[in-house]
Amino acid sequence: MPHPAWYQQAVIYELPVKSFFDSNGDGIGDFPGLIEKLDYIESLGVTCLWLLPFFPSPLRDDGYDIADYCQVHPSFGMLDDFRRFLEAAHDRGLRVVIELVLNHTSQEHEWFQRARRAPAGSSERNYYVWSDTDTAYPDARIIFVDSERSNWTWDPVAGAYFWHRFFHHQPDLNFDHPPVLEELLRVVDFWMAMGVDGFRLDAVAYLAEREGTACENLPQTHAILKTLRRHVDARWPDRMLLAEANHGPAEVCAYFGAGDECHMAYHFPLMPRVFMALHVEDRQPIVDILRATPPIPDSCQWALFLRNHDELTLEMVDDDERDYMYLAYSADPQARLNVGIRRRLAPLMGNNRRRLELLNSLLFSFPGTPIVYYGDEIGMGDNMYLGDRNGVRTPMQWTNDRNAGFSRADPPQLYSPVVMDPVYGYQAVNVETQERDGASLLQWMRNLIGLRKLFPAFGVGSLEFVDAANRKVLAYIRRDSHDTILCVANLSRSVQPVELDLRAFAGSVPIEMLGYTEFPAIGSQPYFLTLGPYGFYWFELQRRDV
Amino acid sequence: MSEPATGGAVVAGLITYQDAATVGSVARAVRAGLAAHFAGLPTRMLIVDAGSTDRTVALAREALGAEADVVEVATPRSAADLLEVPYHGVPGKARALHALLSTARDLTARACVVFDGGVRTVTPAWVASLAQPVVDGRVDYVAPFFARHPYEGALTKGVVYPLIRALYGVRLRQPAAAEFACSTALAGHWLRHDLWARHGARAGIDIWLAAAAAAGDFRVAEASLGVRAHHARGEEGLDLASTIAQVIGALFADVEKNARFWQRSQSRATERLGSPVVAVPTDPPAIDPDRLVEAFRLGYQELRDIWTWVLPPRTIVDLKKLLELSAREFRLDDELWARVIYDFAIGYRMRPVARDHLLRSLVPLYSGWLASYVGQVHDLGPEAADLRVEALAQAFENQKAYLIARWRWPERLRVG
Repeated sequence: MPHPAWYQQAVIYELPVKSFFDSNGDGIGDFPGLIEKLDYIESLGVTCLWLLPFFPSPLRDDGYDIADYCQVHPSFGMLDDFRRFLEAAHDRGLRVVIELVLNHTSQEHEWFQRARRAPAGSSERNYYVWSDTDTAYPDARIIFVDSERSNWTWDPVAGAYFWHRFFHHQPDLNFDHPPVLEELLRVVDFWMAMGVDGFRLDAVAYLAEREGTACENLPQTHAILKTLRRHVDARWPDRMLLAEANHGPAEVCAYFGAGDECHMAYHFPLMPRVFMALHVEDRQPIVDILRATPPIPDSCQWALFLRNHDELTLEMVDDDERDYMYLAYSADPQARLNVGIRRRLAPLMGNNRRRLELLNSLLFSFPGTPIVYYGDEIGMGDNMYLGDRNGVRTPMQWTNDRNAGFSRADPPQLYSPVVMDPVYGYQAVNVETQERDGASLLQWMRNLIGLRKLFPAFGVGSLEFVDAANRKVLAYIRRDSHDTILCVANLSRSVQPVELDLRAFAGSVPIEMLGYTEFPAIGSQPYFLTLGPYGFYWFELQRRDV
Repeated sequence: MSEPATGGAVVAGLITYQDAATVGSVARAVRAGLAAHFAGLPTRMLIVDAGSTDRTVALAREALGAEADVVEVATPRSAADLLEVPYHGVPGKARALHALLSTARDLTARACVVFDGGVRTVTPAWVASLAQPVVDGRVDYVAPFFARHPYEGALTKGVVYPLIRALYGVRLRQPAAAEFACSTALAGHWLRHDLWARHGARAGIDIWLAAAAAAGDFRVAEASLGVRAHHARGEEGLDLASTIAQVIGALFADVEKNARFWQRSQSRATERLGSPVVAVPTDPPAIDPDRLVEAFRLGYQELRDIWTWVLPPRTIVDLKKLLELSAREFRLDDELWARVIYDFAIGYRMRPVARDHLLRSLVPLYSGWLASYVGQVHDLGPEAADLRVEALAQAFENQKAYLIARWRWPERLRVG
């Protein structure tokens, strides 16, 4: 591909509008507040914003239960506020990606209200999946095992069961009924005409249902996505579709198609293995999963993250690994939710700055586009006692003033209490403090993001692991036609020596990228390095013999 | 970079604005140059006027006669053009150049050579010196080198040239000149570039074109043309602070934009064409080193606080040592000056203080450098003075690693 696409070079910042900044003092973040904070976002150096759902919704699943696809929830502002935000973001060179929840709506959506009252077999009724019994599709697993007992729920108004893969108040749309996709394509056109740069396609693996299957990743689902992609390509060039499919890399690769489905997809299995590798102080879990990751079409890209708005999902690890992860990262059972751990990055890392830096160095140097979850750039903590995943969705901590500077409302009026514990509370962890501290995590993250953007090889370059006897050290080469970058990471809490087989690069001079420091030239002997606890190096390998 | 367009015309463009006093002679010289040096090739003359209210266009047409090869190119203008204080004297300079280059590209020009309608000293030989290397397919971009008194063009000598040379690897000593020649391939490259809509284009466009040619890996050369004298357009009274804010701001904006390129670039050959003309204007700019040193001292007292946002303590201490020196003794070390400029470039990128304030706070430092430079070249001939500038440029190259290291991992010297 001659020129990497914008999403292949992006650094994405994920945020819920409600959590970022409250401009009108009602205790809930809003679009005017987000506009006020765009200078901060721009100063981070990120290039793209991913907004969690902001549409009208009863908010029983934090907005993923949408009641109207083409409006803004009144708590977050008006449609014009969104337009102003979009324009302001674009003025700063920031792309904006929003959510497209294809799989289901809220029960309160007019489509469902109409369907439940429509005669069985009618077009209106067929917008959703109905059954006279709750026994169809028995091979489909229940995803929210902590709160749901069945994928079917009885609707007394319709006198039938409706199908839902997630909460019982989120009926699944029926894509076997063509008007459903037509409606959703109109939604796509509505937002893209306004200028949004892409959609994150939520729960994209569950669009179709077929008897005798797990109702996941079905060919019919891929056919729907191909139709969506054709529609977007024909009308809206330079836009992006990001698939949320929490499956193994081989299955997720199917969502790229032949470059004719989604442009991006999350690499879900990588994240728990990074945490695992760090805890066992062994590179193998990372090497194994990246080696098991098939190549993807040139125009596509992995979306990488350390943490996000959901629990740290452990669905993609085996039982032993899951037990280990629970013991290692959630000794307190309160931290566990569904099949995962509901904690932010800093608490998972024990607030260890070196570990935070190491993990971010991996996030920013593995093949893919990194996503930073709001607040993780300052090491925000969480509140696992808030229920569901709300503990990682608390107000952004701007200052050490009332409500963390997030809102002028009375504290009880906030949509969520701010984090107040002595380690991660807003008095200790906030943007204002870190702006004034030249050595803060915030400043470090800014530098790392800036450095990453200088080297397109991080976005689209190839990945080759470098042999080293010491398995506590992970070494790999990222390479494109311009640059060759050697990344070396010490996954352990103690100093480590390592001898790297770099004979293929004999004659090159490693330049340590953060300080532009020249190291001894690579020769025919193993290249010897020592790394401090959780230390990492990024080297630019410069050829001096040409 | 692509092969030269071998079949197209040699296109000469005049960019004019209120140039009634000079445009006739410029047009005749260019016409004569085309006739004398490119007689066997098709030629076209383009007039691109940026909104003159005098008889500039009529006089240009009159000078060129009713030849069929004369094309008047309309320049889209904005009301803001006439409200701006133009550094270059031509409102909407970037738009005028864009229109000219677009026309040259559409004509698949073999070479396009650009002149400023306000220059009194254009000769037919300039046309050949600039355009011939492009017509021959040897290079894609030819910048001029004008003979100047050592004091003349000091901002270019002290900042623009050394920075462009160190970062982009090309030795174009006057990269901000209005005159140049380019290939169609380069014109197309420029026209595809996003530099036309950038803030500061009126002062920066010439520098940006030179930098884009270098960053695009086009072959560049420099042609010695002699003395350049310009008629007054009224911009000569622009104060030093505004000039520095505009020119250095434009330069730093380009440095920020091309960071990926210059951190990888190596020094490369820049062909120097023609014999240097050593005759210089007999009327050198009046420069008073005592006043410059006093401006430096005053700036140190008043602006040191701003400097501490971008200059590390070591540099501040080194600058402080200069306070004790008289104008005769005053010497600002080349490598120190290079680091000052690099730290300001990083400050421009990081914005610890407003960019305009930052750039204006550079003025006393520049005054100090100028005093030092004048003290070193005041009794040197042009060639020796050029060598002095070359030594300065070498210091910028030596300190490039300093810039890269701090650019990649900036240190916040002051916060809060």
